[in-house]
Order: sequence, then C-alpha cells, then structure tokens
Amino acid sequence: MIPYVNEYDTPECKTLAETAKKSIRTPASLGLDRCIQCGACTASCPAARFTDYSPRQIVKKVLENDRSVLESEMIWSCFYCYSCNLRCPRNNSPVTIVQVLRQMAINEGIGVEKLAYFLEIGEYLAENGASKIPGPGAKNMERDLGERWISFKKNLESIRDELGLSSKDIRNTHGEVQAILEATGYFEREKWIKAKIQEKLLHQLLENQCIKRENRSGDFGFENDRRYPGQPAFII
Amino acid sequence: MKTIEDIPDSQLLLFKSCMVGQEYPGVETSTCYVFDKLGIDYCINDEQSCCTGIGHYTDIFEGLTTAAIAARNFAVAKSCGYPNITCLCSTCYAVNKEACETLNTNTEVREKVNSIFREKGLENLVYEKDDMNPRTNFYHAVEILLSKVDKIKEQKKFDFSGIKTASHHACHYYKVKYLDVLGNPENPQLIDNIAATCGAEPVRWYEDRTLTCGMGFSQLHLNKSTSLQVTKAKLDSLQRAGVELMLHMCPNCQIQYDRYQPVIEKEFGVKYDMVHMNIAQFVALSMGADPYKVCGFQTHSVSLEGFLEKTGII
Repeated sequence: MIPYVNEYDTPECKTLAETAKKSIRTPASLGLDRCIQCGACTASCPAARFTDYSPRQIVKKVLENDRSVLESEMIWSCFYCYSCNLRCPRNNSPVTIVQVLRQMAINEGIGVEKLAYFLEIGEYLAENGASKIPGPGAKNMERDLGERWISFKKNLESIRDELGLSSKDIRNTHGEVQAILEATGYFEREKWIKAKIQEKLLHQLLENQCIKRENRSGDFGFENDRRYPGQPAFII
Repeated sequence: MKTIEDIPDSQLLLFKSCMVGQEYPGVETSTCYVFDKLGIDYCINDEQSCCTGIGHYTDIFEGLTTAAIAARNFAVAKSCGYPNITCLCSTCYAVNKEACETLNTNTEVREKVNSIFREKGLENLVYEKDDMNPRTNFYHAVEILLSKVDKIKEQKKFDFSGIKTASHHACHYYKVKYLDVLGNPENPQLIDNIAATCGAEPVRWYEDRTLTCGMGFSQLHLNKSTSLQVTKAKLDSLQRAGVELMLHMCPNCQIQYDRYQPVIEKEFGVKYDMVHMNIAQFVALSMGADPYKVCGFQTHSVSLEGFLEKTGII
C-alpha cells in the first residue's frame, strides 16, 4: 500500500526540522533553530509534571534529526495546551512540532490505532456541519459519569427546546462541508487510516499468539529520564 | 496587544460551538440574553459549521481541511455582514484566528483552498488575501463582556457579594495567540474583572492558576489517569483557597471540571465544595436571568441548587 502523504502538514524535506518548519501546523515565525534547550517548555508542561514526557527532549530529537522520535509513545502524551508555546523565550513551539510529528507518525502507520476513537468526527461533520463527542468517547463518558449525564443526554432535545434553541444542533451547510472534505482528500485519508488500523489489529492478534511484545516506549535514548511507561489505551 | 478600546460591539457573528450546543446549551442562551440586554449588534448564522477543532486537535483533520473549513466560515460571516467572529469556545477562537493567519500569509495553501472551492463550484467561498484580519476580526465572547462591564454594573439586578470565585482562563484563548490577549497572558484577569463587577470576590491568584484543564482532546480518552491528575491538581488548589464557584470561558474546560469533578471525587477519595459555570451564565444570572430557562443549569453535573439557594436566587 502506498502510504498516504499529507503534504501540507508534513512536507517532504531532508530533515525533521525542515518538515516541522514548513508544516501548515507551525507558525511561520517558528523559533526551532533558536532553541537553547532551557527547558522552560518542560517546566510548564502538564504532561511532564505527571509523566516522563519532555517537550525539551522532543525538540532536541528533532534538531538531531533522530527519526526514532516518531515511534516514541511520548509524542502521544501532549495535551495541546500550548503552555510551552506561551513560555518559550525563543518563540519556539514544541506543541505545534509535536502535532507535525504525530502527523508524520500517522503517515507511517504508527499510532494510527489511537485515532480509532475519533474517526467518526469527520463523517458526522460532513453530514451535520457540527462535531460531537465520538461514539467510543461517549461510551467512556457514560461509564464515568453515570445516570445523571445519560439522562441529561436523553433529554437534551427537550432542554434545548425549553431554552428556545433548535432541538438539534445541526447546521445548514448546503452540502458544502461534505464537498470540502471530499476535495481536500480527507475521506481518502480516513479510509487509509481505517485500513491501517485493521491491519494493525490483525497483526496484534497474530503477535499475541507468540507473545514477545516489543516495548517501544522510553527506549530512545532520552537522557536521564525514568523509563516512560506510557498509558494503556482503552480498547474499543 | 489588544486593548479594551479595540473590542467591537457591532457586526458580531456569535460563532456557534458544538460542545456548547451539546453539553451546555445554556452558555449560548446566557450569552444571547446578556448581549441583548447590552444592546450588542450580533447574529447567529446556522450556515456556520464547526471550526474542526475537535478533529484538528485529535489529529484526525489535516491542516488543509481545517483551513478550507475556516475559509468557508469566513465567507459565511462576511456575506451576512457580521464579519467579527465572536467565539463561545476558546478552541474555535484559536483555530479560526490561526487559519486566518495561514490563509493570509501562505499563498500556496490559500490557492489550494480556492482551487478546491472552484473545483466544487463554490466560487462564493473563495478567500482573497486579507479578506479577514486575524487581529481585528476574531474575538472571544468574554472580551465583549469585559468591554461592557460598566453597562453590566448599571443593569445588575442581583449582587453576588461575598461569593468567592476563581477563574479558569482557557488555554486556547491565551496561550496560542498570546500576543493578542486582553491583558497579561501570564496572568489573565478577564473573567475575574467581570465577576468582580457582579459583586463577587475573585481569588486573583491561586496555585496552578495557569494549569490546563486536563482534557487535552485525545488525552481524556487515551491517557485518562494523567488527564484526571491534571484536573485534580487545580481542584485541590481551589479547595485550599476556599473557592465556592469556578468560572469558565470554554465548554471543553467546563466538561472537564464540572462533569469530571464527581468522577475525581470517587476515584481519588476526595471531596470538593465548588460548583461551576461559564462567566456568561454568571453575568446572565446577575442580570436577572432564569437559572433554568436561560442559564440551563439542569445540564450541569455538579448540582447548582445549593449555590442558588444559598445566594437566594431560588
């Protein structure tokens, strides 16, 4: 299968740094080359506070053009809170670089299973012009939040009526959103991601029979960090 | 840096938020209630779609799709004569503002987006450079409220004296485009200043004030334990500060704090005394709005009845 190339998020360049700088996801003024490894990003980072995630080390890996970073579980721990973006004294933006790294990983089929949760968002948006908490996420929330939330969701339409809103939040986009998603190649990419996920699940099934799981997290020379255990993903 | 004098009160497109619509519809109705009372010239347009934020930040949508959807929404705003996009959700605010910057500065992306529109027969959506200005066409509803505190004070029907509040300023409002924040992005005070106008006593600084809510888009679902630890850190700090009411400006944060506070209490064996609402719900309440028919408090997870009784509203 030809891997789907996401040319605006991950323009093909010689180095990770060049791709990050040219990506549509990062600002034109990105101070990646100006990084002084001061660690203000890691000091401000909520993920770094509770796990061994380190935006400073991710930036270092990018500057060293160490592509093993794409396989690290670490890149999937960012909250996209942009605290590092705000605090960086050199106008670098680890949070947007991580977005590019995730897109590059996806292009190589790495971590695609994490997207399984959210894939519904695209089709729902095309159809309704709005987004919703996707099915698997809503199931988690039902389990976590229990009866009160479930019954609120059941009554949402009548509550919206009572508030004087349309009973459903559906937008009138005249099919334009659907047309846009078709033309940007979104659906093609979604199809490719779905196929990759299936392929991976199958592989996992086969691998599980002869056990020996490779533990990829934390083993990429991230200096003096404790081993990064990652977090178990929910199985859907 | 934005200044309060820059905030417009006319031609505002109140940008519908998916998470507001589905989780806290009372935030939209409260904002409209307050805007109507303040005489703000705004409109809501059903042709406007989701900003793509939820898909964009769960890595589902690529940048091109996000830029194209944004360009379409800009065309909707301009064609109805309400080009000042005013968001209820901080992520809509950041996504739109960033997309506008990209469309203005990145010729290749702009031309690609326009070629998509032409290919699909959507010439009316074509975006020309500088059709919108990332600095002057994008606002958060909180900025509008802050610019009208004098009028809010005049029309206030109910005074919240003695209520200890704390603010959670949403990350995507002040950490993404941090040069365009009203005030100091290291210590934003927008919500606090509005709350003070309604008589509340805001706790201006508490530990972890700038910590994210912990939702983290995919994180709540993929790394739930870290996600809830982050949320708990701030709730712990607010409990120590004796806060009764936590005020929000983003539905995503409100989901994380209001919906997940009971979950954290159960899973970590702790107990919190604070309740949650959006600052627009708070202002509406203080201007005399009905807690259920306007503010929509029946959609909240942490029950507000105790708070409403204590303050004499119900």
